[in-house]
Amino acid sequence: MSASSPTVVDTAKLVRDRRRAEVTKNWYLFRSDVSAMVGAGVLIVFILMAIFTPLIANESMLDVTQQLDVARYAPPSLEHPLGTDNLGRELWVRILWGSRVSILVGVAATLMSMVIGTIMGLSAGHFTGFFGAVVMRFIDFFLVLPSLLLAIVLSSVLERGVFTIVVAIGLTSWASTARIVRSQTLSVESRLYIERARILGAGHRHILFKHLLPAVMPLVLANTTLTVGTAIIAESTLAFLGLGDTNKESWGTILKNSMDISAATAGYWWYVLTPGIAILLVVLAFTMVGRALEAIINPALRSR
Amino acid sequence: MTDLSFDHVSITYRPSSDRGDIPAVIDVSLDLPAGATLGIAGESGSGKSTLIMSVLRLLPKSAELTGEVRLGGKNISELSFGEIRAVRWAQASIVFQGALHSLNPVRPVDSQIIEALEHHAKDTWTTPEKRRARMLELLGEVDLDPQKAEAYPHELSGGQKQRVMIAMALACEPDIIIADEPTTALDVIVQNQILEGLARLVAERGISLLMISHDLAVLSAVCENLAIMRYGQLVEYGPSDRVCLQPAEDYTKQLAGAFPQIGDPGSRMNPRTLKPAEVRVNEPYEMTDEVVLEAKNLNVSFDTQNGTERAVRDVDLALRKAEILAVVGQSGSGKTTLARSLLGLQETAPGSQIEFLGRPLPTRAKGLRTFRRQVQMILQDPAGSLNPKRNVYEAVAEGLRVQRISDDEYGRVIAALEAAELTPAQDYLESIPQELSGGQRQRVVIAGALALNPGVLIADEPVASLDASVRGEILSLFLALKKNLAMSALIITHDLGLAWNIADTVAVMKAGEIVEYGSVDSVLADPQHPYTQELLAAVPRLGSQRLVGRA
Repeated sequence: MSASSPTVVDTAKLVRDRRRAEVTKNWYLFRSDVSAMVGAGVLIVFILMAIFTPLIANESMLDVTQQLDVARYAPPSLEHPLGTDNLGRELWVRILWGSRVSILVGVAATLMSMVIGTIMGLSAGHFTGFFGAVVMRFIDFFLVLPSLLLAIVLSSVLERGVFTIVVAIGLTSWASTARIVRSQTLSVESRLYIERARILGAGHRHILFKHLLPAVMPLVLANTTLTVGTAIIAESTLAFLGLGDTNKESWGTILKNSMDISAATAGYWWYVLTPGIAILLVVLAFTMVGRALEAIINPALRSR
Repeated sequence: MTDLSFDHVSITYRPSSDRGDIPAVIDVSLDLPAGATLGIAGESGSGKSTLIMSVLRLLPKSAELTGEVRLGGKNISELSFGEIRAVRWAQASIVFQGALHSLNPVRPVDSQIIEALEHHAKDTWTTPEKRRARMLELLGEVDLDPQKAEAYPHELSGGQKQRVMIAMALACEPDIIIADEPTTALDVIVQNQILEGLARLVAERGISLLMISHDLAVLSAVCENLAIMRYGQLVEYGPSDRVCLQPAEDYTKQLAGAFPQIGDPGSRMNPRTLKPAEVRVNEPYEMTDEVVLEAKNLNVSFDTQNGTERAVRDVDLALRKAEILAVVGQSGSGKTTLARSLLGLQETAPGSQIEFLGRPLPTRAKGLRTFRRQVQMILQDPAGSLNPKRNVYEAVAEGLRVQRISDDEYGRVIAALEAAELTPAQDYLESIPQELSGGQRQRVVIAGALALNPGVLIADEPVASLDASVRGEILSLFLALKKNLAMSALIITHDLGLAWNIADTVAVMKAGEIVEYGSVDSVLADPQHPYTQELLAAVPRLGSQRLVGRA
């Protein structure tokens, strides 16, 4: 046993080498996609800004009692790069602080939705018979439910807070992921190597975790980046409707404040456009990256 | 009439990737005078398909052709696009490989045959009514019921689809028919019907036939002349009985030997191969009387839209220690269902009994796992049986991990690979399935089963998708496993030659029933049941020229 173990380690290393080669190849494909690189660049800028917000703009800049001598409704100028709001707060500071909540909620809710969606999709695809049918009907139930309404109900019933928003979005947005995962599971399930594993004596756990999960993971990953955009919009919508945490800045909250003072009709266009464009940029960037990942996983989508 | 000639033809693929040039055909010269029949034999990768695609200029852009392909005296590469379109189908037509995939699944077959007439022969059959009549006439020529005209491809069997393809090829009364492996996916009886149909059409209408196949016996039944290709080069050319029976080249001998002649004592228990598997023990095991796996009164039914269909009916079968049992039958005879139920993968009807070592098959998950450690199955398609993401080591070790055999995993994997004659085993460990040839993949699958030290191996068409030379190697491996390890094997096949090559006993299945069951020597030498006789008669014989010039 001891004599052969060095070679065994060698095999594991070769597996790692092969995976590294695959990552290198995919990275090359990703890099040669212009829109994916632009999207990734925008994302990195936004994420870095969100992380370093406390260093760029002190939290006191959001305190209305300290902004008494600042002009209200100041349009964008050199002094106020993105203008100020009705309480004299700098919009760029609000956008920075808001990005923390918006992106965090977007990513966290998406992770939650992906985990639920993958588990439900895998079990609906793998287990046939009564159990699979029940899971499938459960997925269908969530699929036809108007998810925004459900999220509104959830976030008004539960305690207010960022976590509630995450749960509300996560619990309502997993059904489409589950369907995609299920269809991929069904197609992998019919491959002969699954039958071979069964002949070797494998049980459900082995087939689910060694064959099915690795096969659906790339799909889930690409789907994740696409869903983050949707989740950010959902968060903004909930915050816009006043269901978010009113003590925390978020892009949806800024939009809600602007609506409260009828900014759009009163001519304070920067108040509406700034958070709107921020949402647009981040969602678009996530979508561009997601589309590129999808094309890498599924070569048929690549344009020739 | 039209002559076809290849004059010093070389074809090279220049792929856009950095793999470099791939010479597919190297300096081949062949002649097919009007009314002649020529067969080209070769293994996969020998360039035979590439060569015939050049006749109708159907090669991809990356292919570069030197030399001349002349059709009716005209150089194909000098024709304009309009002229080559006129040649396609009207002068020469192709029966493509894999009829199952060459038909459009969303259109009924009549419209697909009429399509060829609309594109290429609007002058001869001018109105839709005339074209429809011509289509029905064509179906009659290939012995297909006119009612099938409105059928969709999925409603037809493999043989019927192949007939539709031939009807399409005949549509515009071509002078030359080019057939690319027209019978490869079909079983012997259907193969025989298709070959007879082709031969009759060729003889009646004086069409020239250019047919390619990997099976010398099939070609020699229909063609006057045979050409053997290997690595893009012409190895041997001559009249087919001479090429088959007195081959001049070693490669031809090997190809001819790969398909056994049933009844020939030289190939009994002796699959011909250049790389026979070693028998490592002094006293090789022989078939014993000890029953290992037994089925009694086995019935399997499927619920279909038209009520229940009985796939397996009242089957009694016993597999003894160190016995190789071949279950032969046409496709759809229930062979695979039988194998799956023996492994407990298929639910059986009440009253069916399956016993392993005298005890009934376990039904609980844990018992089944232990059972499968002793009885292993090899699936039909080695390419699909391996997860493309996992390397050879992981594939072979999978069974050990599933069965929680954790001591000396590395040693067991190496031993299994060596038992499957994949040596040196270390060189293959990190390969992924795409990097292996079909024969190597099949060995990996066999090694994966052997790693568990099973007493019984069930193999579903283990050599159907492999080249002739690899076929002999894999069959000799089965024989060696029996002799070395006293392993019992149940081999599902449509190939009677395989049974003659390695099996001790044979069971002939028809429509779910075993119609004849006994030792290979008695059943194949002196078949009693008419169905067995029909099967045997349908097997093409080397150099027979049975169908040449027969109207």
